Amino acid sequence: MKILSMSTATNNLSVALNDGAKIITEKNEFDQRNHSGHLDPLIDEILKENDLSLAEIDRFAVAIGPGSYTGLRIGVTTVKMFASILHKDVAGISTLQALAASCAEKDTLIVAGIDARNDNYFAGAYVNKEDDLGPECVIPDGHYHIDTLLSAVAEYCANNNLENVIYVGTGFEKQKEAIKKTNIPFSFGTEKQNVVHGGLIGKLTLNAQPDDPDQLLPNYLRRTQAEIDWHKKTGEAYKPDSNYVEEV
Amino acid sequence: MVHKKDIRILAFESSCDETSTSVVKNGREVESLIVATQIKSHQRFGGVVPEVASRHHIEVITQITKEALSEAKVTWNDIDAIAVTYGPGLVGALLIGVSAAKAASMATGIPLIGVDHIMGHIMAAQLKEEITYPALALQVSGGHTEIVLLKDPTHFEIVGDTRDDAAGEAYDKIGRVLGVNYPAGKTIDEWAHQGKDTFDFPRAMIKEEDYDFSFSGLKSAFINTYHHAEQINQKLNKYDLAASFQAAVIDVLATKTIRAIKQYQPQTFIMGGGVAANHGLRDRMNQEIKNLPQNMRLKVILPELKLCGDNAAMIGAAAYNLYQEGKFADLTLDADASLELPYASEMLQ
Repeated sequence: MKILSMSTATNNLSVALNDGAKIITEKNEFDQRNHSGHLDPLIDEILKENDLSLAEIDRFAVAIGPGSYTGLRIGVTTVKMFASILHKDVAGISTLQALAASCAEKDTLIVAGIDARNDNYFAGAYVNKEDDLGPECVIPDGHYHIDTLLSAVAEYCANNNLENVIYVGTGFEKQKEAIKKTNIPFSFGTEKQNVVHGGLIGKLTLNAQPDDPDQLLPNYLRRTQAEIDWHKKTGEAYKPDSNYVEEV
Repeated sequence: MVHKKDIRILAFESSCDETSTSVVKNGREVESLIVATQIKSHQRFGGVVPEVASRHHIEVITQITKEALSEAKVTWNDIDAIAVTYGPGLVGALLIGVSAAKAASMATGIPLIGVDHIMGHIMAAQLKEEITYPALALQVSGGHTEIVLLKDPTHFEIVGDTRDDAAGEAYDKIGRVLGVNYPAGKTIDEWAHQGKDTFDFPRAMIKEEDYDFSFSGLKSAFINTYHHAEQINQKLNKYDLAASFQAAVIDVLATKTIRAIKQYQPQTFIMGGGVAANHGLRDRMNQEIKNLPQNMRLKVILPELKLCGDNAAMIGAAAYNLYQEGKFADLTLDADASLELPYASEMLQ
């Protein structure tokens, strides 16, 4: 099964071609701030190098979030359109699960996170199981203050007798002092592990349920500030987005 | 007789709070037009919130693409080009259309055309009637107030521009003061027809030689008048307020546009943009043009009301002209939030 997978969730633009679990090729543009101008040319390059057309791809996969809101929408829109037009499978993979998948350690809590500024993180925690289905989520992906995240980590480790934690992703090294206070041995991901890899998204999608391209949407993990403020001010309940958009 | 092949363009528009797709034949005929509007959502906040807009765009993009094709009773095989607005507008919002159009182009092998949103608004006129060049356009919306000279179907130059607020923006801001929900233009227009111009608000820059506008002073004068009356517990007639505000806007727009028509002597006059749906402005421009000397009479094209607001059909119309000149985009096409038509050389002096 040929899988084309991509991440536009962070500064690292990554596109990969997998044949099943095998990564055939992966291209990365580190510190790329213009995903819109670069994503399609990178896809095109990979297809040409492998003498493939988009129509020969069996499944499209994308980092669904969390991550940069604008970045996520570029990748998600692209795969939605590919899958919708070509009638192919599409699957969204948690950006954090993809980060965790770069760590092979067993009996270790893998905390994957993206710096959301002001000591907040989009983060989740994962563990590798004996099977090869990819890391399993044990602390759900969410928007956490570092203190909340670290107490959840400490609690999980205590309850599950884990004595090793890896922090992978962005912005964790500046929390070194706070992390030390958890009194659990820890390490940080390597430079290579700290970026989201398209090839790992491709691998993870093998065990994911395909999504309906029309329904595939970024997993932002946070409402917009405008909605939060509106909710506070008016006390009105959040309604599904479909209540607000109408064809005229 | 050589049969000329029909050119069909599938167009995307997502620059602000409408997600739209359309199939347009030969740049003139709308075969389908889908517009998903988010107005209800942004009314919660009193105006368009960019991040909310972007989130709504991506929710509907694949569905409305399929609908545009099925409503036009065509398939991808019938499409000759894919067009998309790449600016100006809200960058996050534009990126949905741009990403979708590029992905569609890659998936189908159909060539891609990037369209300037303003060029699109002006080309809504082409969907009504053939334009004779040179033409002059008054482009008025919530984001723009410009007088544009059309040398030919693809070469446009700005000859006049607003120095601060756009006319439509001023409507929304005074609408908010009057308790009218965004977008306020339609209601203010209706009220204006029931009132009289009694407040004599300033007509900024009406006497200046150039074709530039300013609506920020008018907006402030209106708000000050309203708040002052409130402080002394005086109730002002909202119809007269609306009529006075609208008269000030239209006076300046009409006076400067007529002066530009006299200077540039175009063959066609066009209006475009959301405010081009304003009845007061449409009536006034029609009247002013009727009053022109015989030798200056020109064709007037006021687009259909439903094509004044943001829609993909106008993008398909403009894209057809670019198609004819082989002006295609490649996969590096990116959103350009501050894209501008070129300014006429006399404006740069």
